[in-house]
Amino acid sequence: MIRIRHLTIQQGNFTLSIPHLDITKGTYFVILGHTGSGKTVFLEAIAGLRLLQAGEVWINGENATLLAPEKRKVGYVPQDYVLFPFLNVYENIAFGLKEVNCRCLNVEEQVKRYSQLLGIPHLLSRSVSALSGGEKQRVALARALVLSPKVLLLDEPLSNLDLQTAKHLRLELKRIHQELKVTIIHVTHNQLEAEEIADQIAVISHGKIEQVGRPEEVFFYPENAAVSDFIGKPNILNCDNCKSVGQGLVEVECGGLHIIVPHDEDTPVTRIAIFPRDIYISDIPFPGPSVNRFRGVLTEIMPRGDEVEIGLKVDGQILRSEVSISVLNDLGLVIGKDIYLMLKLRRIKIY
Amino acid sequence: MPSILPGMRSDRLFNWAVLSALSILVLLLVLLVISLIAITDLHLFVGSLLSDEVRFAICLSLITATISTLLAVIIAIPVAYAVSRFRFPGKDIVDSLLDLPIVLPPVALGAALLIFFNTPVGGFIDKQVIRFSFAVPGIVLAQVAVVTALAVRLLKSTFDGIDPRYEHVSRTLGCNKFRAFIKVTLPLARNGLVSATIITWARAVGEFGATMMLAGATFMKTETLPIAIALSLGSADVNKAIALIFILIIIAMIALFIMRKVMHGSYNL
Repeated sequence: MIRIRHLTIQQGNFTLSIPHLDITKGTYFVILGHTGSGKTVFLEAIAGLRLLQAGEVWINGENATLLAPEKRKVGYVPQDYVLFPFLNVYENIAFGLKEVNCRCLNVEEQVKRYSQLLGIPHLLSRSVSALSGGEKQRVALARALVLSPKVLLLDEPLSNLDLQTAKHLRLELKRIHQELKVTIIHVTHNQLEAEEIADQIAVISHGKIEQVGRPEEVFFYPENAAVSDFIGKPNILNCDNCKSVGQGLVEVECGGLHIIVPHDEDTPVTRIAIFPRDIYISDIPFPGPSVNRFRGVLTEIMPRGDEVEIGLKVDGQILRSEVSISVLNDLGLVIGKDIYLMLKLRRIKIY
Repeated sequence: MPSILPGMRSDRLFNWAVLSALSILVLLLVLLVISLIAITDLHLFVGSLLSDEVRFAICLSLITATISTLLAVIIAIPVAYAVSRFRFPGKDIVDSLLDLPIVLPPVALGAALLIFFNTPVGGFIDKQVIRFSFAVPGIVLAQVAVVTALAVRLLKSTFDGIDPRYEHVSRTLGCNKFRAFIKVTLPLARNGLVSATIITWARAVGEFGATMMLAGATFMKTETLPIAIALSLGSADVNKAIALIFILIIIAMIALFIMRKVMHGSYNL
């Protein structure tokens, strides 16, 4: 278990202040927050790379506050992976093993084991400069995991990858977590990433942890304005006439809307929630089967920084969606215009 | 039909201006070398090159410059790392102080050292420990005093360019601070370290002012290459001076060539 007590770190005008945080052993814990909210500082504090003004950090029952980073048994994968460019892949992974010089560990066997776990045995003789982003990420993970750390710290590990690779590596991270049962603390600004991968999420804002909970608690029951401002408010629809359509799907009626929802339990669905970002819009009908595709009228346009929140009236229901300003201009959206919308099936949650 | 781009005329003027500056500088250097070649009597040139005095000057310069470069780099590595990585009160003042030998005329630095060896403490060192004034160790000391600041400045830029996260990661992989420096920071700084060493060495070979002040210009005793040039011109032996100048040019060209080769293989950090 990781225990944080009265942690304070001052850096110029920025203060990270965490009075109390417990992370259960073996949890996949995601710290979610904007850039500059203190996520990386928090990770570095656990790794022992930051000077604390006050507070204590406990790792698996041991007070690690005064322990040097090399004594904490913490694995750290920084953003951009920071592989040593003067070593090849094998030497990067073996670096820590050679450094701790433990006779109980056979360097070659361990490197082989973790390179197989990460699916990179074919890369061992390569130079790190010849690797793709995804491959670098796997090498950095192998380098951190090979020492069997008590806790693995991941700083925005998927932010520099293309969408497909990031999606694949999310599943890989989850698999590795289940296989090794190591506590993982993963920081990100990406809500989708957090929701898909986390056992627990902490939302951090301006150096303070605003809410800790399971993903559904954080996303659908924000405890304060800071969390709801960051997460966004979901569209919540009351529904009835729930009937199964097979393959783990049910059809529900929300006002005049017939919506297909993923649900494989016997309990009836009475309310569903969908985030504005999961409602796609177009000025022409979406191709493909007409599941969760509707036609509505644009009723409201509310600017939100680089994005715009729009209100849509669909069969008597008001739904909110999010688009970028460029999409708004490209589609020529004006109030009163007819709009086609599609609800992303797998993103509809039972509320 | 000729293509016309907006602002093309002003672009051409700018290109013409910067390329003219480049041409003038290259021409000046080429003219200098040509004038040296034109004035040289080949027979006398070869004779001067093989003379005992020139061979002594070459050996003394190469040996003293190598020793002083080693000392300067050994001092500069921790100093540059400290200035690059640590924040402490008065850091700006310390930083400026370290640059002082770069902006101070070497003659002034040499004179300051000579004056120091005339104080009771300096005099004791000079008489009882190592004789620096008007002796070969004085050449090394003068060169170290001049080139260490240069080495510090070059190495600080190298350390500044290395992301501290490399050290952070190595700390979590079992290195203490010293091991992280040896195993990670120094290998990352390798190219900067080699080029700083070469520039420092080349500067030490050419050091004149401080050496002249502290070690003096004694024939076949403290006669480094630059001092030999001054002595040759003083005795109107132009051919010997030209031979010595060419030797310094060749040394500088080799140093620059090696540096370019080293920089070519630098890491993208």
